[in-house]
Amino acid sequence: MLNQQTIRLKSGRSWRVYDSGGNAPALLWLHGLSGVSTTDPMLAALEKKHRVIAPVAPGFSDLAEIDEIGNIHELALDYDDLLEHLKLDDIAIVGHSFGAMIGAEIAAHFPRRAKQLVLLGPVGMWNDAYPVTDIFAEPFIQVEALLWHDKDAREALAARRSNEGPQSDAERIIAVAQGLTAITKFTWPIPEKGLRKRLPRIAAKTMLLFGEKDSFISPRYAEDFARGLPHAQSLVIKGAGHMLPYEKTDEVVGLIEKFLA
Amino acid sequence: MKFHWFHLMPYPELPEDFKDAYRSVWVDVPSSLFDPKVGHRAYNDYLDELEYAEAVGFDGICVNEHHQNAYGLMPSPNLIAAALARRTSKAKLVVMGNSVALYDPPIRIAEEMAMLDCMSGGRLVAGFPVGTPMDTVFAYGKSPATLRDKYYEGVKLIMRAWSEPEPFAFNGKYTQLRYVNVWPRPIQKPSPPVWIPGGGSVETWDWCVDNDFLYANLSYFGYLQGQKVNDGYWATVEKAGKEKNPYRCGFLQFIGVAENDAEAERLYAGPALYFYQRCLHTYPGFANPAGYTSIPTMRAGIESMVARSSNRNAVENLTWKDLIERGYVVAGSPESVTQQLENLADKMHVGHLMVLCQYGDMSKETTMYNTTRFAKEVMPKLRNKFSEYEDKWWPTQTLDDMAVPAPLTTLV
Repeated sequence: MLNQQTIRLKSGRSWRVYDSGGNAPALLWLHGLSGVSTTDPMLAALEKKHRVIAPVAPGFSDLAEIDEIGNIHELALDYDDLLEHLKLDDIAIVGHSFGAMIGAEIAAHFPRRAKQLVLLGPVGMWNDAYPVTDIFAEPFIQVEALLWHDKDAREALAARRSNEGPQSDAERIIAVAQGLTAITKFTWPIPEKGLRKRLPRIAAKTMLLFGEKDSFISPRYAEDFARGLPHAQSLVIKGAGHMLPYEKTDEVVGLIEKFLA
Repeated sequence: MKFHWFHLMPYPELPEDFKDAYRSVWVDVPSSLFDPKVGHRAYNDYLDELEYAEAVGFDGICVNEHHQNAYGLMPSPNLIAAALARRTSKAKLVVMGNSVALYDPPIRIAEEMAMLDCMSGGRLVAGFPVGTPMDTVFAYGKSPATLRDKYYEGVKLIMRAWSEPEPFAFNGKYTQLRYVNVWPRPIQKPSPPVWIPGGGSVETWDWCVDNDFLYANLSYFGYLQGQKVNDGYWATVEKAGKEKNPYRCGFLQFIGVAENDAEAERLYAGPALYFYQRCLHTYPGFANPAGYTSIPTMRAGIESMVARSSNRNAVENLTWKDLIERGYVVAGSPESVTQQLENLADKMHVGHLMVLCQYGDMSKETTMYNTTRFAKEVMPKLRNKFSEYEDKWWPTQTLDDMAVPAPLTTLV
């Protein structure tokens, strides 16, 4: 069961964090474009074997949070402050999409934080031969449709979330816009902010999963990560889009558990 | 009331099937559609038209900044204003304006505008737009998350650079300079009048009112739709306890003056439809990216924004009759245009009217005709409107003994 708490750091910065608690090995979940919630099926599956800690990325709760986080290095520092507060070292870090970019940056900036690293459809690299789709140049009310390959899975997740309480169309659209805005601060106009150079700093055992049908980030980015992380495993999930953890939850969780075991 | 002749400088030879064959007039419009020879002719015709506007008595001539598009060919409005500074002497140069967040360091703008103010003898109006998302976020790669914040900081720096007598250090969030010491200095002290073009962001209203900048409501959707934005602005003015002076507000309007309605349609329907169907043919994803519109502004007008992002086809399928009925274009006989504008000025409480007498692929001849009739038969009837108010948003320090360019023949 995930409990929501607000953590206040020495710097004065507040973090909203979901935490399942308990004594199982800690797993840091870093969410993607659609944020995190108590009904998240990935977290429900992962908390069976782990204490799952899922911070809400800066800007997703309140855009003012990113005012003083000027670049990707300061973002990594911000997460390091949180992990220091929670006394989390040498843990499993699992990130999806933009969250995977943050996970890779934490592991590159502060190698001792991550024992294992799982990147699901990671943002953070650029290759002219297969450029990342500019999802920001799509009307943002349509962005979600672009990220999903399996429309049934998308509707199932939406239904699950609607149980958390009613939300007007306007508020839902505002939430999407707010999340995307926060991400643009660290990915605009091209999402590669030096991660390629920093990959060799990563000490964690690493696994990358890509959706075969991901129309945002091509599975070919596995090659770019492999250049900096020659020992990383990389797998492609058949029939999944960018939302692979929600489209093929059982398969993705199975692979993660096997990797972390 | 004051009247300003605004040129958008459209590319005049987009293909007939443009809106079906291409996805956007902005950002990724193929540059193969641009013929530099057409560009040569267009720039020179357009400069002639702006200069003509001074000759027939317009108060200001307006230019603006856009990038990577066929909608408006002025990546640098300052270049056009510099050309106008030499060939005009009375009209104020309303640069509407420089997109502050695009320039590092932004004092480049303080320098160029000071040059323009000196060259023109103190005739500059300094416009500071945030810039459209197409220009700023996509063409110039600025993050929508920080665009506005960077813009506010840049404008503050420029204003300070113009007014402080001694060099100073500027330790900003986006710009750090050890020495700010702008040369040349503007003639107008403490600064040229500042105009802020806007499209309905709630924070822009506060920003203008707090700093006593003019708010220019630049809408292509006429006074009927622009009313909502102006109402919001005037409510902000009143709430701040400031004078509801019509000269702190500007509005843009398409104009077509003719003998009668039938002639107006014959002359102006083609160019107007060229504008609405080709020049406004922007891919919706470029027009409204996440983050460009602030959350409070989204909350203030979410329905209209959702509607806007999906109504491109609706705009492109408009007929001339629709454009007239909705007030997008004010056209007809001089009497009819006068009456409509009087109505507009009353309802919107606008002291500075920016008129578009050239749009789309309108020929120079038709543009001159429209401009002449407006200046001679409409402007004089509205001149005295709002004369009870003082215009504090207008250059008043223009030099009396202005230098005159030497005739070319004497330069041996």
